[in-house]
This record gives sequence, structure tokens and C-alpha cells, in this order.
Amino acid sequence: MKTVAGVALLLLCSSTFAADGGQEAFTARCLKCHGDSGTGTVMLARRLGKEKSLIESRTDLAPEFIRHVVRNGIVSMPAITRVEVTDDELKAITQYLTRPRP
Amino acid sequence: MKLTLPRGVSARSFDQAINAFTRIVGAQWVLNTDEDRTTYLDAYAPGNAETYAPSAAIAPQSVEEIQALLKVANEYKIPLWPFSRGKNLGYGASAPCMAGTVMLDLSRMKKIIDVDEKLAYCLVEPGVGFFDLYEHLQKNNIKLWMSIPANAWGSVIGNAMDRGLSYTPYGEHSKRVCGMEVVLPNGDVVRTGLGAMGNNVSWQLSQNAFGPSWDQMFMQSNFGIVTKMGLHLMPEPEATLSLSASLPNSDDIEWIIDTLAPLRLRGVIQHDANVGNGIRAATLRSLRDEWYKGKGPMPQAVIDEMHKKLGVGAWNFSVRFYGNEEVNDANAKILRREIAKHSAVEFRETRWQRGQPLARDSGAAVPSVNALQVVNWRGGRGGHIGFSPISPATGAHAIKQYRVARKRYEEHGFDYFGSFTIRERHLNHVTLCVYDRDDAEMTKNARSLMEVLVKDSAADGYGEYRAHVNYMDHIADTYDFNHHALWRLNETLKDAVDPNGILAPGKSGIWPKAMRGKRA
Repeated sequence: MKTVAGVALLLLCSSTFAADGGQEAFTARCLKCHGDSGTGTVMLARRLGKEKSLIESRTDLAPEFIRHVVRNGIVSMPAITRVEVTDDELKAITQYLTRPRP
Repeated sequence: MKLTLPRGVSARSFDQAINAFTRIVGAQWVLNTDEDRTTYLDAYAPGNAETYAPSAAIAPQSVEEIQALLKVANEYKIPLWPFSRGKNLGYGASAPCMAGTVMLDLSRMKKIIDVDEKLAYCLVEPGVGFFDLYEHLQKNNIKLWMSIPANAWGSVIGNAMDRGLSYTPYGEHSKRVCGMEVVLPNGDVVRTGLGAMGNNVSWQLSQNAFGPSWDQMFMQSNFGIVTKMGLHLMPEPEATLSLSASLPNSDDIEWIIDTLAPLRLRGVIQHDANVGNGIRAATLRSLRDEWYKGKGPMPQAVIDEMHKKLGVGAWNFSVRFYGNEEVNDANAKILRREIAKHSAVEFRETRWQRGQPLARDSGAAVPSVNALQVVNWRGGRGGHIGFSPISPATGAHAIKQYRVARKRYEEHGFDYFGSFTIRERHLNHVTLCVYDRDDAEMTKNARSLMEVLVKDSAADGYGEYRAHVNYMDHIADTYDFNHHALWRLNETLKDAVDPNGILAPGKSGIWPKAMRGKRA
């Protein structure tokens, strides 16, 4: 798992623009755990440090890494099925999380 | 993850069944890639999750689709494992009892059909989560409170069906169920209770009516697929008053249970109050490594130091009063007086009044998934498994259970994580074994611990209320009056309603006739 995370850190972010609905899909599907004080944010802060805890603010997440984590789970996060987050939603979420930032 | 076929089903028959399922729900909702199968594994499995590997998943959106799927499953003898949202974490999540089973994922069925504020109930479909219902109540300014478990990621129906609990006045969720719609394995649709009368206007209002009562028969069983459930909700109180305190000594569990339980029975305490140990509190606020890096259980001196630094006790409890403020104050006075007979403990007091924002420490039901922090405790890929026997609500039973369980947890290299939920006449002693799934020895010890706990509890006359799929047979075996007469009754019913044995084989130890040799 550490290897996967390490590779992910080296990959460049996607240069695509956020898809329509990406932020909304992230809010609906991910924010309960990955919001400001969500359980995922707290877990990440304890394991990786506060600066990497809020995934919405990170710029080091590669699209394929996000997809892999969602469909396979990572550390204490369970895998998410294609019923709970559809492929289209995951694509939009990935584009939102890897959007170009100033 | 590669395909494991259902037992006794050929590859050709399986493919034909998948094609037929696809014609019913559409290709998008038949999930059978290697990666799809992985997403339905038990994320916190104590060992190899692929022991319970599904072969595929199907996600219908209507009763009619479920009926059509059942017809195909009966024809090809395909076992189906229905689940609501798959968040039964600590008990196998959505995983089936038998590899090769097809998951029947009901999470697309998420209609909130009815919420009646005046008579305080809702009627929902299985895919409705606690967050969904909460947001519906908030958005529509409906003054009803839900009873929400610690991990609110799951389904309202699924949690009640597995007899989930919370610490509210409606905390024993299965007792608040009122009326179900169920699709039987042969495709017939029944409504329980007053819903059996086609034009009845009280389906969600009275649990008991004419003839045998079936709501409870569908819980933790495999006799039907629940597609609608009525559930009573709590009218928003005028005010709440919450009193929390910590107790310094492990043996305090005896007097605190003997103090709180009679107040619960008499109605001074109106909710299922909970007393939890210090490690339980620490798992929500820290990693074990911060306190101790050894492999075995944390030494008492380390635990004591941790308690001190976190400001928690060996035991910690909250009691909440709901209703008119003057009545709450009067009941709180009784509680303080009874506690003062044993301890000069200081209470932390929180008050809430109608109109103020809802907050969890006020006793309001606000969904959260923060309880999942516990799986982070040991590091690595975390996991947890629950063991929660029921006992009489007396201090003598509580301290006996605590001592036996803690000894067993520590013998197996684990920190004892426990709490007692106090109902009118019984305790639910919820213990959690938290492990690192990357540590093969630790997960092996977790499995051994569960087996020992099942045996210990049965020997002392305590029955487990809910099981991980791995231990359903073990626990069914402890319900042994008259040479397992209840097990025989369950299997007699199973054979009658599901002669092909297609629905959730092995759930709660109930196997179809042709698979009874699979019992553990």
C-alpha cells in the first residue's frame, strides 16, 4: 500500500477541468467522511499529517490512484461499489479532485 | 478477484442466469467484473475476505424487478444475499456466508415513502440511509428525531433488521419496526401486521393485530426480502439535559450498573444509557502507537497514564433526559442523588432547548461516521469484529462479564474494548476486537478470541445478539435448548418458504436442506 501511495505522489495531476457535477458528486458521496472533521480526514491526519488530511485540498492525487482507492479501499477505508458511486460519478469526482489549481 | 461459482451451479448455468438477470435490471446493474467482486468483500475481514467471495452483484430498483430476479434464481438455483447498503461493518459488511453467492444490492431502492409528523413514523425502502432520512427531516422541518447508531453510514432498514442499537429512547431499533413489505423467495409479496389488510389505515401505527406476528421473523433471518419498513420516530422533545461523567476504577462497573439499571427500569432514565471503557474512548481520539508500541495488550500502568492524559476514566457514561425542562431537572436530581451514594463524581452538563441547532452531545440524533475511527487503533489496514452478549441488568453480571472478557482479550494480545448498554431488564455488553489486517498472527488471534468468547458466554448462560458471518453457525449452536429445537424450527420454516434454498444460505446458521452439511 505504501508503494502505491508513493507512486501516486510522483504522478502529475490531471490537467482536465472539473467535470460538471464533480464537486456536487464529491459532496454527496465523499464529504461525510472527507469533510473538515470527517472520520477519513481525521484518520489521514493521524497517519499522514494534517497537511495531507483534507483530500479536497490536495494536489498530489492522480486520477488512477483515486479510482483505485475508491474501488479497492485503502487502509481503513472500505471499497465503494459501482452502485454506491457509479463510474460516471467517480469520473466526475476524479476530475474535480485533480482540477487545475492556481 | 476471480469468479467463484455458486456451489453446485455450472459455469453454463451461471452465465445463463447472469444473462437473464441482465435482461431484468440492465447491464449497468449487474456487476460481475473481478473488481466488482472485490468491492463486495468484507473490508474488515479477520483473515482472508475471499473465503466469502461473492460471484456477482445485482442491483434492482423495484419490487417487480426483485420478483423477476427471484424467478431466475429459483430456476438456476442461484443463491442470493440481499442487503440494504452493506455497511454492517464489524459483522461482515455485505459479505455472504457462502462463497459464490450473488449479492442482491438493494441500495438503489431509496424512496422515503412517507413521514408522518403527527403520528411520528416513517415508511422507507432499504436503500435509505441514516443521512438520507436525517436530511429529509431537516429539509422539510419535520420535528421528529431518529435513533442513529454510532456508525451512521448504513441503512435504516438494514440496521433495524440486524437489531442494531443506539443510546436513545428508541435505541433498540428492531422494537420500533412497525409493518413490513416482504418479497418471499417464491416471489409472493406480503405485508405484515395491519398491512395485510389491503385498505388498512393503521399499518405503521400498531405492531400487533390479528394472528401470528411476522415482523420479528424476518429479522436476522433468510425468509424474505424486506422492501418497505415502517419505523417509529421520536417526537422532538422540548428540551434535553445531558449528564456525563467518568469513573476511575475498573470495578466501578458493578455499582454504576446497579445504580443506573433500576433508574432505567423505573423510567427515571428514558433511554438506553451506555457505560464504556477508557480504551473505547481512546480509540476515537488517538492511535495506540501514541501510548504503547508493544505487541501484547497495553499494560495497566500505560492505560492509567493514557486515561489521565485524555481526561477519561476506566468507565465513562452519559445519561440524557428528554422532555419538559422541569421534569428533566427533577430526574437529573434523582440521578445525582443516587450516584452520590457511591461517588463524588463531577458531572459535565449539556443542555439543549427546542429551536437551538441540533448537536450530538445534546442527545439529538445527528448522523456521523466518526465511530469508524476505532479501526485505525492498531495501524495498518484496520479492522474490527464485534462480540456482544446479552445478560441480566445487574452489577454482578456486568463485572463478571467484564472480567472474563478482558482476560480473554488480553490472553489473545488485544486491548479490551467494551461498553454496556442498559435496557430495562438486560445489558448488551458490546465488545470490539480491533486488529491490523496486515498482521496475519493478529487476525488469527482475533478469530481464536471470537471462538473462545462464544464458548465462555454460552457456558455462563449469556447469548450473543448478533454475529459476524464467520460465527453465525457457532452462535446458532449455543442456542441449544431441547437439542437445538429453535434451530430445527428455523430450518423447517426455511424449507417451507424457500424450498430451493436460494435466499441467504447460512444467515444466522439457517441453511437450506441441501446445504445443511455446511454448518460449521
